[in-house]
Amino acid sequence: MKHEGNTQTMKQTTQILLFASAAILAGAGGLRAGVISGTVNPAKADSVVYINAIAGKTFPAPAKPFEIDQKSLMFHPHVIAAPVGSTVQFLNSDKVQHNIFWPSINGDKKLSHNLGTWPMGEQRSFKFDTPGVVPLLCNVHPEMAAYIIVTPTPYYAVTDASGGFKIADVPDGSYTVTAWHEGMKILAKPVTLSGSATVDFSLTK
Amino acid sequence: MQRKHHRILKTLLPGVIVGAGILLLASSHKGYAIPPFARKYQTSCQTCHLDFPKLNDFGKAFKDAGFKFPADDETYIKEPPVLLGAPANKDSFPNSVWPGEVPGLPPVGLRYNQFFQYTGSNRNQFDALATPGAAPGLVPATDFQAGLFSIFTAGNFGSGIAWWVDDDISVSGDNSAGALGDAYLKFVDIGRFIKLPKDSLSLRAGQFELDLPVTQARSINLSPYDIFQEANVGAAIPGAMQQNVGNQYTFADAARGIELSGGHSYGGYHYSVAVFDQNTTGISQSSNSFPYVPSATGSAGGGVGFSSDSSMKNVYARASYRFNLERDPKSRRAIQAAGATGPHDHTYLNFGTFYMYGDSLQRFTGATVGGITEVLSNREPYYRAGGDFSFNYRTFNVYGLYMYARDSDNLPMDATGAPIPLPLSGSPTPAGFVRGLPATFSGGFVQADYLVHPWLMAIARWDQVNSSADRINGLAFATNTSYFAPYSSSRDRFTPGVQFFIRANIKASFEYQIRPRQFVTVGSLANGNPVALNPFRVNTAVFALEFVY
Repeated sequence: MKHEGNTQTMKQTTQILLFASAAILAGAGGLRAGVISGTVNPAKADSVVYINAIAGKTFPAPAKPFEIDQKSLMFHPHVIAAPVGSTVQFLNSDKVQHNIFWPSINGDKKLSHNLGTWPMGEQRSFKFDTPGVVPLLCNVHPEMAAYIIVTPTPYYAVTDASGGFKIADVPDGSYTVTAWHEGMKILAKPVTLSGSATVDFSLTK
Repeated sequence: MQRKHHRILKTLLPGVIVGAGILLLASSHKGYAIPPFARKYQTSCQTCHLDFPKLNDFGKAFKDAGFKFPADDETYIKEPPVLLGAPANKDSFPNSVWPGEVPGLPPVGLRYNQFFQYTGSNRNQFDALATPGAAPGLVPATDFQAGLFSIFTAGNFGSGIAWWVDDDISVSGDNSAGALGDAYLKFVDIGRFIKLPKDSLSLRAGQFELDLPVTQARSINLSPYDIFQEANVGAAIPGAMQQNVGNQYTFADAARGIELSGGHSYGGYHYSVAVFDQNTTGISQSSNSFPYVPSATGSAGGGVGFSSDSSMKNVYARASYRFNLERDPKSRRAIQAAGATGPHDHTYLNFGTFYMYGDSLQRFTGATVGGITEVLSNREPYYRAGGDFSFNYRTFNVYGLYMYARDSDNLPMDATGAPIPLPLSGSPTPAGFVRGLPATFSGGFVQADYLVHPWLMAIARWDQVNSSADRINGLAFATNTSYFAPYSSSRDRFTPGVQFFIRANIKASFEYQIRPRQFVTVGSLANGNPVALNPFRVNTAVFALEFVY
């Protein structure tokens, strides 16, 4: 009889532990973190894939700022992705004066901004609180261009040279995933993630 | 030796052209303007040009540095040069040729322009000049015309050696030969070899436009500056008011010689001193050959010919100082000023002065003494002197110059000391010369350019030439001859214009020339002196399309 009593206790204890773990995991926002991967076609580097805003969820801004440099009359890198609320530092490593401005954010000209002029070795920063596409230009050297894709969530990736991407540590769930590439139409697709998911994009002009 | 300049052609009504231009602007485009430097650095024309070919301050610095970036040039080159010898060969010199480099791709640019002109109805006033009974020449009211197709190449061979060559391959659309424009080598900052301050001494050799206060060869205007086109021929009325000058030289002519220069054109001092061939008779090099002494490019048969018509060389000197007016000294000394919305040209005030001296040579057959024919050499010193200014605020630039010209005038006299009427007829032969009234003219221009938008330039210009000799000659020759006859000694022209960029390398330009009054009818006053009658203006509207690549 005592043996049956011990077994019952162990079973109850195990159940309690399982329920507690489930509760903990549920409290953490998802049962598990998965990976969304795929390819952006035409297969090119510097495409950005990101998860759209998630209802009811906000995310803290990254503590470390992003960097864009101006060197040899070019922006480096040409494309970066940064979550909303990020700070981007703009450097000038050229011995000529440069300027950085953007005529709009996501086409909204009211959000245009000009950072002015600064010489070699100095930098200026800006905090991007509005998600969207930010085209960077220099009003002295019109051929210079770069892009900041301010993403609404911290789940994003920039494609490699073959157009492949991986967005890791995404909780399981249903999302809308968007792909962007310079000069192409933005494309959004629904994705349901359960451990892993693959989504490919074929962008058009 | 007349330098090439744009031909004026005919145009549509301005409103139609402006409308077409706006339509062209509206189309979307992604591309790069790529004449030689733009290709080398993969950068747009606007890096150096406000309204090509007009340079911004960075373009001036680029040119001063020998067509390269003023600092760290190699970091901006996207098209690596071809090395003519590894740099280590410097250590083995004189047992090796000093190493140099050439651009990776031929740095060649091409430029083409075409015109359309509308000439006012007063063009028919010239019908009065036709010989009685003959049909007068026709000046069409409207005319499309091909302009110049030019090739240009420029760059830097490394070690501070720069070059520039431009040539009009085709003129007027009929493949007729154009003219070599500038063609020179420039040794930048040679003062460094003798420990002079940086950029205080450079040497240019070849054929080039003089270091004029305002360039005509690379002007944005469709029509030339009148004062640069003016020659000092003096009064030429047979029997009266005659001057023995006939100097064909104009500032628009190319100079062949050498030039020392220093300083910067984007701030501070700038100077130049040029020594160049004198040619006052206007003889072309190909015609100026001598059968017994070859020129540098030919055999004893004469070769290509001599550029000079005398041994004397002209001297031209210019000095200027530009005050950049920014409060921040760091910004004042920089190539461009740092603005709140980006770098831009300095706010500046520039003052300069220039002086040119020559000594014209005329040779006459004199009397025959003891079987030997005397050859008389008549030297007539001449000079051109003037001052200039330029003020710039952001993209608004107003500038101008004033010039005074003076040629000595020596009249031939016979053996009795009496002046011989010109032109000489062979008898009597001159025995000497007597000082006459110098031939003079003066004038200048003021121009204002305003870059309203990066793609739109508004221009207003006023030219004036004061020449009594031109008016006197007009009174003498206007009737029944096709001779330009200004109504007044002072010729004023007002030329408003607008230019807009269809693309960074494609430009549409328009200007309306309100030309000076002139006449073709001459009457007589009660005292018998001639008087000009029925003055009129032949105003023209000119539209141009041009592209470079």
